[in-house]
Amino acid sequence: MGAVAGVAPPDNSTRRRGVQPLRAGQGHEFLLRKLHSLSGIVPIGAFLVEHIISNFELVHGPLAYAQQVKFLNGLPLVRVLEWAFIFIPLLYHAGFGVFITFRGRANVNVYPWAGNWMYVWQRISGLIAFAYIIQHVWRQRFAGVSLPEHPGFAYSKVQMELAHPWMLAIYVIAMVATCFHFAYGIWLFAAKWGITPGDNARKKSAWVCGAVGSALCAMGLVSIFWVAYAKQYPIQDVMPAQPNGVVMPTVPTVNGAADYPTTNSAGQQVAPNGVPQQ
Amino acid sequence: MSTKTKNGHSGVKAEHYKGTTYKVSIKRQATPDAPSRTEVFELPYRKGLNITSVLGDIAMEPVNASGAETTAISYDANCLEEICGSCAMLINGKARMACSALVDKLLAEAGGDTITLAPLSKFPVVRDLAVDRSVLFENLKAVKAWVPIDGSYDLGPGPKQFPQIQEARYPLSNCISCTICMEVCPQFNDQTNFVGAATIAQARLFNMDPSGAVLKEERLRALAGDGGVQECGYAQNCVQACPKQLPLTEAISDISRDVIVQKVKDFFVR
Ligand code: HEM
Ligand code: SF4
Ligand code: FES
Repeated sequence: MGAVAGVAPPDNSTRRRGVQPLRAGQGHEFLLRKLHSLSGIVPIGAFLVEHIISNFELVHGPLAYAQQVKFLNGLPLVRVLEWAFIFIPLLYHAGFGVFITFRGRANVNVYPWAGNWMYVWQRISGLIAFAYIIQHVWRQRFAGVSLPEHPGFAYSKVQMELAHPWMLAIYVIAMVATCFHFAYGIWLFAAKWGITPGDNARKKSAWVCGAVGSALCAMGLVSIFWVAYAKQYPIQDVMPAQPNGVVMPTVPTVNGAADYPTTNSAGQQVAPNGVPQQ
Repeated sequence: MSTKTKNGHSGVKAEHYKGTTYKVSIKRQATPDAPSRTEVFELPYRKGLNITSVLGDIAMEPVNASGAETTAISYDANCLEEICGSCAMLINGKARMACSALVDKLLAEAGGDTITLAPLSKFPVVRDLAVDRSVLFENLKAVKAWVPIDGSYDLGPGPKQFPQIQEARYPLSNCISCTICMEVCPQFNDQTNFVGAATIAQARLFNMDPSGAVLKEERLRALAGDGGVQECGYAQNCVQACPKQLPLTEAISDISRDVIVQKVKDFFVR
């Protein structure tokens, strides 16, 4: 039975042009597509949430923001984390996203239906996010004063950037586009991974994703407008005394002798602790 | 609108004939390689016409709007009741079934006196409105969209199906292979070579069949190939356009999950 059942007759049509049949079980596009889909949620989506929440510290002023920047840059293996969980996945998702975008044949002009519009907006918002992220990473992470080394400058660096009205407009547009892309991306993920197969499940999922996206977008926009319209903060390092990374304390001395007790109450010698004390 | 009829259809009942004409603009192509051209026909209006009867009217007296003799239009049709799935074409620019597309509605929709007809845009033209849709047949074969019951001896009765399974399967069994879901899909094109919603829905139909389930893993693996279910971008046009209202987005979601589970399982177990 199996032998008879398992074999399909060959393609004996005369069709040479047009869309070709499924390459059953062949190729690697499945894996690449699923990695793209997953990378949009973790790590990129997770980073977006973290980024918008961290940047909300802007509303607490320069010192609070500087401390947040310092905290993030103080994470263990932070440069490895940055490349492995932000830059490389983002590059992959964006690059493959552009590839996906230009392989699609949008037709909202003929079929102007809601889902079809969302399909187009997902692609437009992705392209906006890509263009924005390139300039954002270059101007805020790599160009100008290095924030990992001087977190105290973080607030004024952002405030100076948003001082230009056109840059403010770019940030607002990109914030809306990115939050839309992420929110609809979660909805897409749930639909495509079989988490929300039913019509009702997908409707409920749309409400949840819409709420998450709106909340993120609102937080992001508040941060943006907060710094942009706050009084101009002088360009200075608000935490000059805070060195980056772990530094061994040097033994402070007065006239060659330690200016703190070097013996305990029993008269025994004690060495200074190698771990910096607060 | 002229009251003169160039195309006197003998079977027309007098009370239906309003004495006016309407136009049909048809994209034609003599052979698969010939350039396409547009030919306009002016036809007497009757109540209750559908597009297959319009094409029949033209075939009876193939004279175009400028009075020149021409050939009848080639097109596929068979059942004339939206069940064979052969008459899909672009009507006023949108993919639909010619036999269930009504002239009265189409004229109202077009807002003028002209209806446009064109072959489906994503399938190679054979001639005029007839296209080669055999890619769907190839896709159905690629996912083994059948129940394997052929053999050299009597296999006896199949396992019983729960009514719940029957109810879930019935809507999926309504597919008429018209290819409209594929035509309207932005991901179905010669770049992606996406398999299209119909095939995915049929894989689901046969995976849910107690006897058909024996080929379930093979179907899922097939659908993970290039052009498989992963190409779906969830524009959801398929489910909007399907003349038989198949729950296509649901089938795609279910099959996507099954394919992921299958691939993960294969990765660790095989
Ligand atoms: C940087 C440029 C980006 C481009 C060009 C881009 C492009 C795309 C495209 C075309 C899709 C639809 C894929 C499909 O049909 O399955 C998509 C999905 C998605 N994107 Fe992006 N994207 C970008 C950035 C981002 C960012 C920054 C995030 C995170 C906030 C993100 C999160 C997602 C998610 C969650 C999905 C859904 C995945 C799925 O369909 O299952 N993308 N992206
Ligand atoms: S699923 Fe619907 S649109 Fe697609 S081929 Fe079947 S009947 Fe036609
Ligand atoms: S002629 Fe059979 S579906 Fe239209």
